[in-house]
Amino acid sequence: MIMKLENENDLDNFIICHKCFTLHEEVAIADGSKACCRKCGYILYRYDSKLIDYGLALSFTGLIFFIIANFFPVLKIDILGSEQFITIPKTIFSLFENQFYIVGLICLFFIFIFPLMIFLINIMIFSMLKLQRGTKLTKELLIILSHIIPWSMADIFFISILVALVKLISFGQIHIGISFWALMVFVLIDIYITKNIHISEIWMLRKKVLLSKDKD
Amino acid sequence: MIEVDESKLIRCPICDAVNIDKGKKNRCRRCDSAIYHHRNFSTEKSWAYLITAMIAYIPANLYPMLVSNAFGIRDESTIIGGVVILWEHGSYPIAAIIFFASIIIPVMKFLILLYLLISVKYPLGKDKKVNKHKLYYVTEVVGPWSMIDVFVVAILAALIHLSSVEILAGTAATAFAISVFFTLLAAHAFDERLIKENR
Repeated sequence: MIMKLENENDLDNFIICHKCFTLHEEVAIADGSKACCRKCGYILYRYDSKLIDYGLALSFTGLIFFIIANFFPVLKIDILGSEQFITIPKTIFSLFENQFYIVGLICLFFIFIFPLMIFLINIMIFSMLKLQRGTKLTKELLIILSHIIPWSMADIFFISILVALVKLISFGQIHIGISFWALMVFVLIDIYITKNIHISEIWMLRKKVLLSKDKD
Repeated sequence: MIEVDESKLIRCPICDAVNIDKGKKNRCRRCDSAIYHHRNFSTEKSWAYLITAMIAYIPANLYPMLVSNAFGIRDESTIIGGVVILWEHGSYPIAAIIFFASIIIPVMKFLILLYLLISVKYPLGKDKKVNKHKLYYVTEVVGPWSMIDVFVVAILAALIHLSSVEILAGTAATAFAISVFFTLLAAHAFDERLIKENR
C-alpha cells in the first residue's frame, strides 16, 4: 500500500507493533487509557498526562528500596549453632573469592549495575523532562536505557532467592531478612516501570516536551 | 511530499521509531542508531554466538553444578542430577522450575534460533503458518529466565560455607552462565527484518 507523507518526520504519527510488526497510525486517546494492536492485542502506547510525575516518583521509590536491599541481609540461616547471612553484594563478592570470575562479573552486571543504572537513568530523564531541558542528553540516555533494559535481571534473582529458600530447608532454621522484602518491592516497581512505561512513550513525551519548545 | 510503500517502513530496534527503509545505510532519524548497516553480516554474527552458546552448553551439563561438602562427604551434582534429587525429595514445583529454566528453555531457544536462522536463508517452512515473529518474541521473553540456576548456586555458595558444611559452585556454573549469555547475544543480534523479507 502506498501512502503519502509531507516529510519524513510525519512518520512519528505511526507506530509498529513490537510483537507482530503491524503498522498503525497513532490516534489521540483519552487520558489514562491505552491503545492496543488490532492484530495481536499487544499494548502499543498509553496516554497519561502525569507520566513525568509518576515516572519520577516511582523511580525514586525504587532507588530507595534498591539501596535498602543492598545494605541489609537477604537471608539468615542457623546451621550447627552458627548464624550465617548474605547480602546482595556479599553474594557477588563470594563468587569472586571462589575464583568464579565470569559468573561473578555476569551477576555483578545483571543483578547490581544494570538495575541500578536503569533507575538512575530514569530519574535523570524524567527530571530533565520536568525541567524541560537537556534535549541532547535525554536522547543519549534513552539510547543507553534501551540497550541495558534486556540485561537487567533483578526479577529473576528474586525468584532465585525463593528457589534457594526451598533448597535450604534441610540445612537449618532460615530467617528472612529486611532486604528480602525491600528487594520484593524493588522488583515489583521495576516490573511495573518496564511493563507500563515503554521507551517509545518516553520518546513521544520527549518530542512533545522538549522539541516543540525549541521551535517556539 | 513523498510517497512511501507501507511495506518499506521499518522499526528502529533501539527507539522504536518508524523509519523508511533506504537499503544498506539506514540510520534512525530519531536516535541516530544504525539500523541495519552494522548488521551487514546479517546472520553470521547470530550464528557465531549461537554456536558458542551450544558448545558451552555441553560442559554445563557434564560437569557438576553444585558441590557440597558435609562432614567430609563430598557430593557433586550436575544440573539434571540436581533436578532428580529435588524431585525425589518431593519438592516437585521447584524441580519443575529448575528443569524448565535450565533444560527446556535453553534447548528450546537453541532450536528456535536454529530454525529462524536457517529459515531466513533457505525456504524452510515458508508455506507453513508458523508465526516467526511470535517465536522470536517468545525466545526474547523467556530467555533470561534460564539464569535462575546460576543465581541459586551463587546464593547457596555464599550462604553456606562453614568448615564442616560447605556448598561450592561447580565448573558447570561458569559454562552455563556463558551459554546463557551467548544465547541472549545471539537473540539480540538476530535481525528481525529478515523474517519479514522471507515471509
